Amino acid sequence: MSITITTKINGHSVTATADASTSLLEFLRDTLEMKGSKLCCNTGECGACTVIYNGKPINSCVTMAADANGAEITTIEGLADGDKLHPVQQAFIDTGAVQCGYCTPGFIMSVKALFDRTKKPTAQDIEEAISGNICRCTGYNKIVDAIQLAAQKL
Amino acid sequence: MEYFEPRSVSEALSVLAKHGAEAKIIAGGTDVMVDIKFKEEPGGLVNIKKIPGLSGISENGAGLRIGPLTTIRDIETNTLVRDKLPVLWEASHQFASLQVRNTATIGGNICRASPSGETLAPLLVLEAKAKLAFGDGEKSVPFTSFFQGPGKSSAGNTGLLIEIDVPYPPPGSKSVYLKHAVRGAMDIAMVGVAVLMTPESGKNSIEDVRIGLGAVAPTPVRAPKAEALLRGKPLSASLLREAAALAASESSPITDQRSSAEYRRWIVEALTRKGLEQTWKAATGKEIA
Repeated sequence: MSITITTKINGHSVTATADASTSLLEFLRDTLEMKGSKLCCNTGECGACTVIYNGKPINSCVTMAADANGAEITTIEGLADGDKLHPVQQAFIDTGAVQCGYCTPGFIMSVKALFDRTKKPTAQDIEEAISGNICRCTGYNKIVDAIQLAAQKL
Repeated sequence: MEYFEPRSVSEALSVLAKHGAEAKIIAGGTDVMVDIKFKEEPGGLVNIKKIPGLSGISENGAGLRIGPLTTIRDIETNTLVRDKLPVLWEASHQFASLQVRNTATIGGNICRASPSGETLAPLLVLEAKAKLAFGDGEKSVPFTSFFQGPGKSSAGNTGLLIEIDVPYPPPGSKSVYLKHAVRGAMDIAMVGVAVLMTPESGKNSIEDVRIGLGAVAPTPVRAPKAEALLRGKPLSASLLREAAALAASESSPITDQRSSAEYRRWIVEALTRKGLEQTWKAATGKEIA
């Protein structure tokens, strides 16, 4: 059954239809052609699909597209201001926290959500914030460096 | 696939009366969406998130009333839960990732009726109750009889969980939730053990103890024989060993990709011992005799 979804993504109002079984990730990638959020495990375990939903980081692969109705969603495409990258994005580049890059959008959204909660995260806050994101290249130390650098700039 | 978005409990119940056999209730979606992609697509989805009044935590006499749509993160960050029901807080804190905790609901964790559901062993030792709505009225069911098998509960496919009632544990009691998993919180528990111990007023012996076991039987279970053995006695080293072994014998684990049945039984024994020891020390201030 097809349903109509009206939602706000990165500040823009969007209306589109999708099958009721569609995940928010499929809605973003396939219906809206926004390919920044990544499809990886598709079971809510790796965090590559992380988006911010009504202020909170969630796995879009295990969220119903139907639940986007009336919600406010921020994706990786919504972070940069024109050509100027978000401080978290810039910090990932400056510290070399990107290897293959596939997990990076999900990590950055989790870190963005962390800084929305607190501007001065503790080591424990950082660990909790990215505990749901897996980097298969195991570049965690650089990612933590990036978060600490971003914390200084924000 | 049909899709329903009921706006009230009674509307949901009439949808379930008609489509309950083939449709699935969906709330957070962290389990059901995975089923849709990797198992079988159900005949329909009943999205209950638009029903008002099914979310939130409030004090209700000598306990907390938790709405089934309350997210695990809202439970984890609620100060009443942290102060009054620390064993439920511990389980919520160790529940999957932050992303999952932000969407998964306690009602979903319960109605999924998975033996390894993180909040279930704590709810068993807290002697919490489920309030269920059916077409012909409401029913209050203790969690000790709510779970009937993997994926099966007293809610059946026409009932709706509308409230979780959690009484405060007895004054002076101490509790703990211990989870054994390879990757910490992100992983599904191989074994989860919840212990709630109440010492008698002189703090010399155990007045009451409740042991809840997760992931080691077709449903989350209590260990009644071990509990009976401990009641009325001071916790000695030999009693501790005996009770832990008895709890392990009361479990009936399976072998799967996470661990063997034999290994799980060892872990039940080890975690029960640890849980009893910790709660005894915390509740009485005494070492094991």
